[in-house]
Amino acid sequence: MTGPPDTTRLIVSMSPHVRGTLTVERMMGGMLLALVPAAGVGVYLFGLSALLSLLLAMATAVAVEAAIEILTKRELTVGDLHALVIGLLTALILPPTAAWWLIMTGAATAVILGKMLFGGLGAYPFNPPLVAWVVLKLSWPERMNSFVAPFTGERVLTPLMAFKEDPALFYSYDLWDLFLGKQAGGIGMVCGLAIVIGGLYLLVRGIIRWHIPVAFLLGVGLFAWIMHTINVDLYPPVGFHLAGGGVLLGALFLAPEPVTSPVTPKGMLAFGLLAGILTMILRMWGSDPDGTFYAILVMNAATPLFNYLAPRAYGRWERA
Amino acid sequence: MRGITLKKKNAPVLERIEITPPGTVVLPLIQHLGEPAEPTVKPGDKVKSGQLIAAAPTDRSVPLYSPLTGTVSALTTTFSSRGQETEAVVIEGTHTIPSKKTSADPGSLSPAQLTTALREAGLLGPGPFPSPLIRDLLAPEQAGSRPVKRIDTLLVSALDPEPSLGVNRYLAGIESEALGVGIASLKAVSGAEQVVIATDKNLPLPEPLRAIVAADEEETTRIVRLNGRRYPTGLPIPLIKAALVREVPLPYGRPRDVGVALCTVSAAVSLGETLLTGAPPVTTLLTVGGGALGKAGIVEVPLGTTIEDLVSALGGFVRQPAKLIVGGPLTGFAHYDPSVPLGKDAGGLFALTEQEITVVGSYRECINCGRCVAVCPVNLVPGMLSMYCAKDRFEEAAARGLFTCIECGCCDYVCPSRRPLVHLFRHAKHQLMEKEQ
Repeated sequence: MTGPPDTTRLIVSMSPHVRGTLTVERMMGGMLLALVPAAGVGVYLFGLSALLSLLLAMATAVAVEAAIEILTKRELTVGDLHALVIGLLTALILPPTAAWWLIMTGAATAVILGKMLFGGLGAYPFNPPLVAWVVLKLSWPERMNSFVAPFTGERVLTPLMAFKEDPALFYSYDLWDLFLGKQAGGIGMVCGLAIVIGGLYLLVRGIIRWHIPVAFLLGVGLFAWIMHTINVDLYPPVGFHLAGGGVLLGALFLAPEPVTSPVTPKGMLAFGLLAGILTMILRMWGSDPDGTFYAILVMNAATPLFNYLAPRAYGRWERA
Repeated sequence: MRGITLKKKNAPVLERIEITPPGTVVLPLIQHLGEPAEPTVKPGDKVKSGQLIAAAPTDRSVPLYSPLTGTVSALTTTFSSRGQETEAVVIEGTHTIPSKKTSADPGSLSPAQLTTALREAGLLGPGPFPSPLIRDLLAPEQAGSRPVKRIDTLLVSALDPEPSLGVNRYLAGIESEALGVGIASLKAVSGAEQVVIATDKNLPLPEPLRAIVAADEEETTRIVRLNGRRYPTGLPIPLIKAALVREVPLPYGRPRDVGVALCTVSAAVSLGETLLTGAPPVTTLLTVGGGALGKAGIVEVPLGTTIEDLVSALGGFVRQPAKLIVGGPLTGFAHYDPSVPLGKDAGGLFALTEQEITVVGSYRECINCGRCVAVCPVNLVPGMLSMYCAKDRFEEAAARGLFTCIECGCCDYVCPSRRPLVHLFRHAKHQLMEKEQ
């Protein structure tokens, strides 16, 4: 210490005076890190153009957020890395064939319509990447449905689209191949293994909590198992539903997104379970092959209701 | 029990540091929730150590005794350890141990005599914002005209209000006759049928406590082992839940409402010593620590020792302090003035450096992550409450349990948005209470 201690410059504030280490920046940084395996496999499978897509989406998201904040004379928040997460997730759920303008529109929509219009981080009701996905899906359905096989770039159907065409086709897929990423789909949605690795990292670091992923997968798994048991020929096994489409990415990255999911443990469990069941209902009887993202969006809308499933406040015996 | 678990490095050093007592003490007339004591001395009076200097008019305040032999130099105003502005008696002199009076065998005293001794000892209850112990502890027979509920369990806490404080755990590990005498007397005074001692399971079971349980032939004493690194297990209301599985009816309930009298090991030891020696307690034990102080441990100081006197007795600051906290880092009160005295309600002194504290300037909006819900020991939804409080919608916050909050600060601790939740809650409570008046 140089010189005598200065006791005229002491900080005064309310307790507690020490805090934990988890901050929003660290949460978002962890999300980015957890998405690296899925993104890496996507780039490996679909080539360098996929990498450019991811970078373009992230750059667009950050630029749009910064531009809005400069225009509206608000504090710049791009430092919290949330825009990067939005951009990356948006690109990961788009087909690898997406054109540059589709990607930029998607990332910009996610930030503007999904996040900033509602007041930024903490205020939006719907998962921003999924908002962008729906907008693109409704605006350019052809482009959003053009998927290619890994490595070859040959135009193919995703397993779920094929299943929609002819339920018997699911037997032509090897479940391990699907889980390891040998399927058509969004850049970051094809390799279940990579997504699970990222998701486990999030769980271990405490960035997401277990309630929503477990309940979500339970909802999907139970529903699929019951249907499969009822008719083995018509309904695919549990593994097909888990490995195909967006269930794993939805369960581990999209549904547990903090802002749009419930805060209470019971609410989280109900949210996840119902989102999983709704996913399966949409897959079985909906018009879209993969209902995961729609299911999550519908449940996002119901999040304030799930928050009523709060624990009983201490010492109170009647409901407040 | 919901809450947070602190790392081992946050545990206090349970070793005693000897210091030279100061030549001046400042005794605030109120050191607890309730009413101030009334001074019985005036400037210029000569006082002896252990002499009454302020009397308690009711059981909502406690009597004060001089820790020094010397002269009353002034009546002044100061802040108490917990930030209350109060009158105070300033005494200059030298610290001596109060001379012993002839004392009867504590075992032979009747509950009424023990009640008088407890009242005269001027002890405080548990927790960071204590009330006089006598208020919440008396059996209906001893409480006089005040109608009170019967107490069936005396809960003695060998845990500290927060994991960084260590006075109770330190005292529980020391062989002394006073602890046993104190617990037995408190049991008699409260009319409790059983005694439960809550101890820290991270430390070996203290031999003195084992001896107290073994000495109880009627087997009405037992020990509960709780995790002392868990917070807020040591705070009064969560402690009653953790040790006895009883829920105090919040927001306005007291331990007595569920048949519990709660006291700390340090209060029991003080009462025991008072009964054994006939002299009132004039010192207090503090946990000291923090990176700006060179030493960490347990230190005994005369009541009313100022922060600056204690710091210089400990060898001064070794680094620049950013915050001076009386109490612990989680529930303590940050002072800007080092001349504030350390009273009965202090419990600790932490001089934290800038690296050890979290400076919260602007904070983010709530991101709904739900971590506060996962740690709230009284099952609130703190994030939502904080949004109401920050937008001045205090009534809605109150309708959702604002006054149930025990201000433990677990939600603050885990909040990734760095929201000052306890600050917002206190602000809202204050605004609502002012409106009511």
